[in-house]
Amino acid sequence: MDNCKPCGGAIPLCMVGEFDLPQDIIDRRVRKMKMISPSNVSVDIGRTLKPDEYIGMLRREVLDSYLRERAEKSGATLVNGLFLRMDKPAGPGERYRVHYNKYDGRVVGEPATLEVDAVIGADGANSRVAKSIGAGNYEFAIAFQERMRIPAEKMEYYEERAEMYVGLDVSPDFYAWVFPKSDHVAVGTGTVTHKGDIKLLQEATRNRAGDKIDGAVTFRVEAHPIPEHPRPRRAVSLCLTAQGGGPGGAGGDAAGYVTKCSGEGIYFAAKSGRMCAEEIVRGSENGTRTITEADLRRYLAKFDKLYWPTYKVLDVLQKVFYRSNPAKEAFVEMCADEYVQKMTFDSYLYKRVVPGTPLEDLKLAVKTIGCLVRANALRNEMKKIGIYS
Amino acid sequence: MALFSPALPSTFSASCSKAQFPQKGRLAFFPKRSLSLFVARSADNGTGTTGSVAVEVNPEKKEEAAAPVAVEEKPEENKEAAVLESNGATVKTEVPPPKFLDPRWARGTWDLEQFRKDGTVDWDAVIDAEARRRKWLEDHPGDSSVDGGVVFDTAIIPWWAWVKRFHLPEAELLNGRAAMVGFFMAYFVDSLTGVGLVDQMNNFFCKTLLFVAVLGVLVIRKNEDVENLKKLVDESTFYDKQWQATWQDENAGGPRPE
Repeated sequence: MDNCKPCGGAIPLCMVGEFDLPQDIIDRRVRKMKMISPSNVSVDIGRTLKPDEYIGMLRREVLDSYLRERAEKSGATLVNGLFLRMDKPAGPGERYRVHYNKYDGRVVGEPATLEVDAVIGADGANSRVAKSIGAGNYEFAIAFQERMRIPAEKMEYYEERAEMYVGLDVSPDFYAWVFPKSDHVAVGTGTVTHKGDIKLLQEATRNRAGDKIDGAVTFRVEAHPIPEHPRPRRAVSLCLTAQGGGPGGAGGDAAGYVTKCSGEGIYFAAKSGRMCAEEIVRGSENGTRTITEADLRRYLAKFDKLYWPTYKVLDVLQKVFYRSNPAKEAFVEMCADEYVQKMTFDSYLYKRVVPGTPLEDLKLAVKTIGCLVRANALRNEMKKIGIYS
Repeated sequence: MALFSPALPSTFSASCSKAQFPQKGRLAFFPKRSLSLFVARSADNGTGTTGSVAVEVNPEKKEEAAAPVAVEEKPEENKEAAVLESNGATVKTEVPPPKFLDPRWARGTWDLEQFRKDGTVDWDAVIDAEARRRKWLEDHPGDSSVDGGVVFDTAIIPWWAWVKRFHLPEAELLNGRAAMVGFFMAYFVDSLTGVGLVDQMNNFFCKTLLFVAVLGVLVIRKNEDVENLKKLVDESTFYDKQWQATWQDENAGGPRPE
């Protein structure tokens, strides 16, 4: 519990309400975003936001410790340890034995064990719990981020503004960002297909940000994997005999609940954890009955039903708009449209996929096709220049 | 400037030699344009002359290296890398990174007044200029805060300029293909079955074939398109399959999602 998680740190507005987060753990309220295309066409987003709407930027160490302390006050037992492995239950009625290193203020952990009925892994993309329950693997992107301090007058520009850069130079299949944090900015990028070139991509990102981060002093470098899709088996029953035995499950990054296109995971991690816990409580009837895999599958069904449209829409967006440089140019052009901004923020901030009016949708479809056609036409011209000049 | 003059004839010859493969009609068009752009850059970029040369020479030499025999690529690239490094060593200490310079580009957008020809804006030239700018930025991605950011929106170019420039040539090509395929198939069917053209058009099966031919010509334009279409179909369902994986091996029973 003592580590500092590498994370973009953006949360949607609904998370603040749903999880009753206090206002003081939110470092910054981003209301303006700038999208910058491969040819440096920049578009400002955020005109459609109401005064009380924002994207919250926070530090994970602050959020995590707040949630943990609140859980402890509600009666949970906190154990500061590093999960090593677990032994499966030998038969019905038997429990899991979890082996871990207990830290509790010490520097070196002391091996200990714990017997439990069910294990839910929320230990991130490299989840050991997921490995222990045989949840399967996923493809992942790598996100690389540098936290840097910039002079005060440059920090003013990033007061309420986050930037997103798209282009093959900064990332072939993702985007690069400059996000403001408490007193510094986080500059980073990510990729699935060119993981080996991540340092080059990061340098290109710094190049693109250019004068705006002139005089920056990097004080921390972070990198971590981002799952691209859920693991094949998110809830399993590991009893050695055919029935009975407690289930093992996973939530958050451990299960692979990260959206495409934006790479958002904090809200889904928290929500999946909560939904899983609620199902366990209901299934065990407040701790009186042992739970089985079926209870966890009920949580999976609920989660999939609630958020599947969001994930699918973002996947389609990624497939259409992150394909190539012209597609990214078209993407940035589309973002200038007010209707697009309104729909995007509505679905991001409140996590609902709103259908919108049919006429506006039709105009949007026509405009999208127009943008894509123009950008691709220019690309063909550019290719000709490449041959001739 | 002494460094600059030998570079110019070599680029000219490179562009002339390369122009032999596709679209000979455009030969006169492009080298003139590239020439004017070079002149513009060297004129404006006083102190940056060495900088622009170092940058310009690089892509030209790369093009030269790419086209002829592959064997020669490595030594030529090494030589060119060495040239760049020796130039780069001096460039870094004195000269700022190269900027996109064009007399018609001002404050982050194209000045349409400068594109006037016979009183109306020459949209073809605007499209050319924007393509050139994007190509330059693709080769030298850089600072996005220059000029206070770019605000040019391609949507200001009217739709008919795009149609005339891009859609019409392609449409001509595709209509030509469809006509050739149609004529040959009509002749073939007539010779096999004796059904004339008018009677073929009244037949449902022939009308279906006609539809398939037109659709085929529209959708499959290059040989690679067949593979691309197959990949697209796979891609569109891949993510769904990844999400459904949890429900595939369900045997313990339990609720299914919709």
